[in-house]
Amino acid sequence: MKCILNTGRTVPQGAYVEHKGSDAYRSVASAGFLNPVDMMMLGIEDGDRIRVTTPAGHIVLTARPAEGVARDEIFVAIGPYANHVISSETHGTGMPDFKSQSADVEPTKEPLKSVGELMEALGGLHYDRT
Amino acid sequence: MIEHDVVCPFCGCLCDDLELETEEGKIVKVQNGCALAESTFMNDVRLPAPIRRTETGWEDISYTEAIKETAEILQGADRPLLYGWSSTHVEAQSIGVHIAELIGAVIDNTSTVCHGPSILAIQEVGHPGCTLGQVKNRADVIIYWGCNPVEAHPRHMSRYTTYATGFFVPNAQLERTVIVVDTRRTDTAGIADEFVQIEHGGDYAVLSALRAIVRGKTSVIPAKIAGVSKEQLIRIVEICKTAKFGAIFFGLGLTMSRGKYKNIRNAIELTDELNRHTKFVISPLRGHGNVYGSNEVFTWMTGYPFAVDFARGIAFYNPGETTAVDILRRGECDAALIVASDPGANFPRDAAAHLAKIPTVIIDPHVNATTALSRIHIPCTAAGIDAAGTAYRMDGVPIRLKKVIDRGYMDDAEILKKIYDHLNGGKGP
Repeated sequence: MKCILNTGRTVPQGAYVEHKGSDAYRSVASAGFLNPVDMMMLGIEDGDRIRVTTPAGHIVLTARPAEGVARDEIFVAIGPYANHVISSETHGTGMPDFKSQSADVEPTKEPLKSVGELMEALGGLHYDRT
Repeated sequence: MIEHDVVCPFCGCLCDDLELETEEGKIVKVQNGCALAESTFMNDVRLPAPIRRTETGWEDISYTEAIKETAEILQGADRPLLYGWSSTHVEAQSIGVHIAELIGAVIDNTSTVCHGPSILAIQEVGHPGCTLGQVKNRADVIIYWGCNPVEAHPRHMSRYTTYATGFFVPNAQLERTVIVVDTRRTDTAGIADEFVQIEHGGDYAVLSALRAIVRGKTSVIPAKIAGVSKEQLIRIVEICKTAKFGAIFFGLGLTMSRGKYKNIRNAIELTDELNRHTKFVISPLRGHGNVYGSNEVFTWMTGYPFAVDFARGIAFYNPGETTAVDILRRGECDAALIVASDPGANFPRDAAAHLAKIPTVIIDPHVNATTALSRIHIPCTAAGIDAAGTAYRMDGVPIRLKKVIDRGYMDDAEILKKIYDHLNGGKGP
C-alpha cells in the first residue's frame, strides 16, 4: 500500500523517551498506526507486523488501528524506528520531511528490532548495563 | 519533605506549580504534573559513570580521563559539530557557544529539527506573539494548527487555554472557542469546537484561502481547498474576525510539512490580516524544555539562533548548509559533541549513521540511542532535577529551574567548562 509516513509526539513516547532500551519504549516507538480500513485492505490485524519501505530504507513495525489516521497514511511516534526510513534531504531548510515521507506498507513476518539493534545497523554498539 | 513550586523541565510549557515529595534524597511523589512530568522525576535512570567504547565493548573511565579525551578529540578535529543543548540550562549552553568559537566549530541546537523553520519565517516577517499569561487572561478564540497538545504539551490547555480560567475569560470552557487544524483526528481535535481536517501538504493553500477570505476576496475561493470546504473556511474566518482576542498555536505539522518555513510565514501573515479586524497573536509550541533558551543564548552570543558556523573565525549562519542534519548527511564533520539530546533517535538514519563513523562524545544524564553511536558518554546532572539553572518557556519567559535533590553528578556546565579549559590552555571562557 502506497502511503504517507507521518510522525509526531505521543504521551507514551514522551514518558519513555529517556528509557530507549526498554521494552515499553520499543513498543510505543515501533507502533505503526493505520486507518482500520487500510488494515482490512492489507489483510492485517492489530499487533501484526508490517514492513515499511521508503527510498531511505525499510523497517518492521507493529500495526495498530487508529480511527483518526486518514486513509493512505501511517502514523509513527517520532524516534529511531520512524527515522530509520526517513530521508535526510532537507531541501535547503535544515528540516527533513518528517511528516511527509512517501512509503510502501506491506504485511510481513519479519521480527521487530530493538533500538540497540537499529543503532548497531548504523555502526553503533549497544550499551545495556544501566 | 515537600518542595513547592517546582518547575518541570521536560517540555516548553515549563509548568512551575509542581509539588515534589522527597524522602532520603529521592523523589517519591509528583503532584500537579502530567504523565510526562511524573516520568521525568520518578523514573530517572542515569548512566552511573563515564564510559568509553573499546574494540569489544564498553569500559568505565574517570571524569578526568573522559574530559581530557573529549578535549583532545575536539582539538584534533578540522570540522567539529556541537549539537543538542535543548534539555539543559542556559549556563551550559553559553559555555558550548564559547567552545564553538574557540575551536571554529559548527554549533546547532534541536530547533534545527523542530521549530527552525518557524525562526526562518519570523526572520522574514516578524513575530506577532505574546506571553502565555496574556493568552490565558484574554483569548476567547484559540487555534491549534498542526499540533497536538494533548499528547505533546499535556497541560497547555488546562494552564493557558481551553480549560484555564482567565481574568477576562472567567468561564473558559463556555467562552473560549477552540479550532483545531490537522491532518489527523487527534485527541486535541476531539475537544475542538471546530475541527478542520486538512489533506497532507495542504496547509499553505488553506492559509492562503483564509487570508483571501479575511480580505473580502471570498469569491475567488474554490468549493474545496486541500479537502476543506469553502463553507468551513468562511465560518472560521467569521469566528476569528468576531473574536475579542485570538491566539494561534502551531506545531511541527506546519514546520515539517511541504513548504516548511513558508507555511509559517503564511500563518504569520494571516495573523497580520486578522489584526486589521481584532487582536490576534501567533506562537510556536516549543518542544524541549529549554529549546527556546538555546535560541536566546545563541542569539545573544553570535547573533544567530541556531546552525552557527565558526569555521571562518566569525559567526556564519546559513540553514540548509550549516544545519546539523545537512552537515552529517554530507559526511562533513569529523568529530561531534552531543549535549542534552539524542540525535541517534531523532535524526534521519543517514545523518545519525555518520555519528558512528567519527569520534562522537555525548554529555547527557541518560543512556539513549546516541550512546550506541558514541565513543564516550559522560553522564551529568539533569537541569531541574539535580541542577539549578535558567530555562526559557515557549513564550520567551525565563524561569529558574530548581535543584530538588543531589545525586552526586557533575553539572554539564562544569564538564563543559573543564573541556574549555583544556582547549584553552587552562584559561576559562
